[in-house]
Amino acid sequence: MKKVICMGESILSPLGETVTENFEAVLRGESALQLHAGTFGVKEPFVGSLMDRARWQVSGLSFFDSIVVEAARRAVEATGIDPASPRTAFVLSSIKGNIEHIGTQDVTLAASARKLVDAFGNPNPPVVVSNACISGLAALLQGRRMLLGGGLDHVVVVGAEVQSRFIVTGFQSLKALSEAPCKPFDAHRDGLNLGEAAAAVVLGFGEEGWELVDGAVRNDANHISGPSRTGEGSYKALRYVLRHIAPEELAFVNVHGTSTLYNDEMESIAIDRAGLIDVPVNALKGYFGHTMGAAGILESILSMRAVDAGIVLPTRGFTELGVSRPVKVSAEAGVTDRKAFVKLLSGFGGVNGALLFRKGGPTC
Amino acid sequence: MLTIKQFASIPAGTDLTALYRARVGDYPKFFKMDTACKLGFLLAEELADEPRFTPREDRAVLMFSTHGCLCNDRHYEETVQDFPSPSLFVYTLPNIITGEIAIRNKYAGETSAYVLERFDPAVFAGLVEQAFQDVVTASALCGWVDCRADDDYTAFAFLVERDGDGKAFNTENIYGILDQ
Amino acid sequence: MESLINEIKLKLIDALNLDGMTPEDIDNDAPLFGDEGLGLDSIDVLELIVLLERNYGIRLASPQEGKKVFQSVAVMADYVAANRTK
Repeated sequence: MKKVICMGESILSPLGETVTENFEAVLRGESALQLHAGTFGVKEPFVGSLMDRARWQVSGLSFFDSIVVEAARRAVEATGIDPASPRTAFVLSSIKGNIEHIGTQDVTLAASARKLVDAFGNPNPPVVVSNACISGLAALLQGRRMLLGGGLDHVVVVGAEVQSRFIVTGFQSLKALSEAPCKPFDAHRDGLNLGEAAAAVVLGFGEEGWELVDGAVRNDANHISGPSRTGEGSYKALRYVLRHIAPEELAFVNVHGTSTLYNDEMESIAIDRAGLIDVPVNALKGYFGHTMGAAGILESILSMRAVDAGIVLPTRGFTELGVSRPVKVSAEAGVTDRKAFVKLLSGFGGVNGALLFRKGGPTC
Repeated sequence: MLTIKQFASIPAGTDLTALYRARVGDYPKFFKMDTACKLGFLLAEELADEPRFTPREDRAVLMFSTHGCLCNDRHYEETVQDFPSPSLFVYTLPNIITGEIAIRNKYAGETSAYVLERFDPAVFAGLVEQAFQDVVTASALCGWVDCRADDDYTAFAFLVERDGDGKAFNTENIYGILDQ
Repeated sequence: MESLINEIKLKLIDALNLDGMTPEDIDNDAPLFGDEGLGLDSIDVLELIVLLERNYGIRLASPQEGKKVFQSVAVMADYVAANRTK
C-alpha cells in the first residue's frame, strides 16, 4: 500500500503565525491563556486563548472563514502543489464554524467549505468532518482515506475554531470551564479553557517524511457528554493503531488532556488498558486552550515537530499526577530518539480517535 | 463490494412522537433529543437487526447533512442571553446524532458526522466506501438527516454491509431506492 | 410547602422533558438520580441548577453541591423555601 505523508503544514494561533513560531513559543513555555471579562458579551469572565481578529480579517470573509483560507494557503504554499487541480481535494474540520453570526448569515459549515474551495478555484466538492472534539483527527483520517480511495494526488486538511458567546456560555452552562489556566492530568485540575486557532496539513503520497500510518474512530456507546468510565472507545481506537507498532517505538502519546476531571481520568485508563503505561504522555491544552476543530491538526503538527527535534514537549500546567493510573506525564521537556507518536482525542457524542504518525520507517 | 441490506426514510411532516410511541415506547431519553437526533434515532430503530443491544465494534454510524444541528443551534441561541441551557447546548454538535444511535444500540464502532453542500449520491457512496478502509467495520448505518427546521427535513438511511446479498451500494441503486 | 412541591414537580417535568409524567407520578421522597426513581443524569443536574437560578434566584456553585440539593423533590423544596431570593 502506498504511504500517505504530510507534505506541508501551517498553524495560526495567538502564539504565532508559523509552525516554527508556535513550536518555539511552546518550548519557551508561553501560553496565550488569559482572563477575558466582557469579551463576546459573556457575563461571567472566562480564561481563554483568543486570536487578534484585526490581524487576520480578510475583506468579504468572516473571521472564521478568513483564518480557514489563510491556514490552507500557507500549507499549500509550503508544498507547491496545485490547489486548483481536480486531483486535489479539501477537507474542513470545525465544530461551530461561523456560529457567532447565527441569525445574520448562512452559518452552515457547508457554506464555509464553499468559501474555502472557491478561494483556491478547486473543482471538487468539499468535505466537512464535524465529529465534536476529535474533528481535526477525524479530518486527517478522512484525508488519508480519500487519497487511498483513489483519484486524488493531494488532500488539503484544514481545521479551525473561533470562540463566541454561543460556545463560551455553553461550556459555562456545563460547568466545564476552569477559572484558571488548565492543568492537564493534574491533581488540582478543575476544567478546560477554550482557544482559537487554525491549522492545516497537505497530505499526499511519498516515501520520505512523516507518514500518517493509520487511525481509528470508536464510540463509547455510553453517554452523549460524559466519557466512558472504562475508557472504552479510546482504548479500542488505541488498540486499532497499535496493530502497526510496538509501544517501545513510541516517543509519546499526545493526549487530549482537556483538564476536566473525567476526560483525563478516562484517558489514563485507556492508555493503561492499551499497554502504554510506560510511554511518555503529554498534552498541549495549557498553551493553546481547547481549540476544538483545530486541536487534532494543531497538536499533531507540533508533535511531529517535537519528534523531529528529539523532544517530548512538556505539559504546561501539570505538576502532580491526579489520575488513577500511573501514566508518565511529561512535566518538563524530555529527550527522545524514537520516531513515532500517537495522537489521541475524545469528544461529546462518546466519540474517540487515535492516529499513528511515523517518520521514515520500513515500507509496509 | 458494499451492498444494501435495508433502507428506511421518514417523510417531512411525520409526527415523530407518535412514531416513537408506535415503534419504540421504552426510551424516555427520546424526549430530550433535538429533531435531528430524533430522526436519526427513529431511522436506526427501523434499520436495527437482531440480536439487538449486543455491544458490537463492527458497525459504523455515518451521518451526513448540510445543516448539521442548526435547527437546535437556534433554540440554544434563544436561551443564551438569560439562562443558557446545558441540555440544549449538548445537542449543538453535528455528531450527537451518531452518539445517540451508538448509545441506544451499543454500536461501539466508528461514529462520524459529515457536512456536505448537498446530497450527491456519488459523494455520499464514496465517503461511506472510504469508511470501510477501517478493517474492523463490517457494516454501516449511513444516513442523510438534513434538518432545516423542526418541521422541514430530509431523513433517510441505509444499512450497508460488506459483500452481502443485497443490491450494490452505488449511485444508480441509491437513486433507484430514493425515487420509489 | 405542598404547593411548592407541586410547583417544583411541574417545572421539573417541563425542564427535563419528562414526557407523559404528571406530578402524581413523582414520589416526594424518591431519589431523582441513579437507577431508582427518575433516573436523571449529569446533564439533568446542570439543567436543574439553571431551574433554581431562573425561578428562585438561587445560584449553586457546582454540580457536587447540586447532588445534595437534588436528592428528592422534598429536599429540593426545603432548600428552595430556605434560600429563595425571588
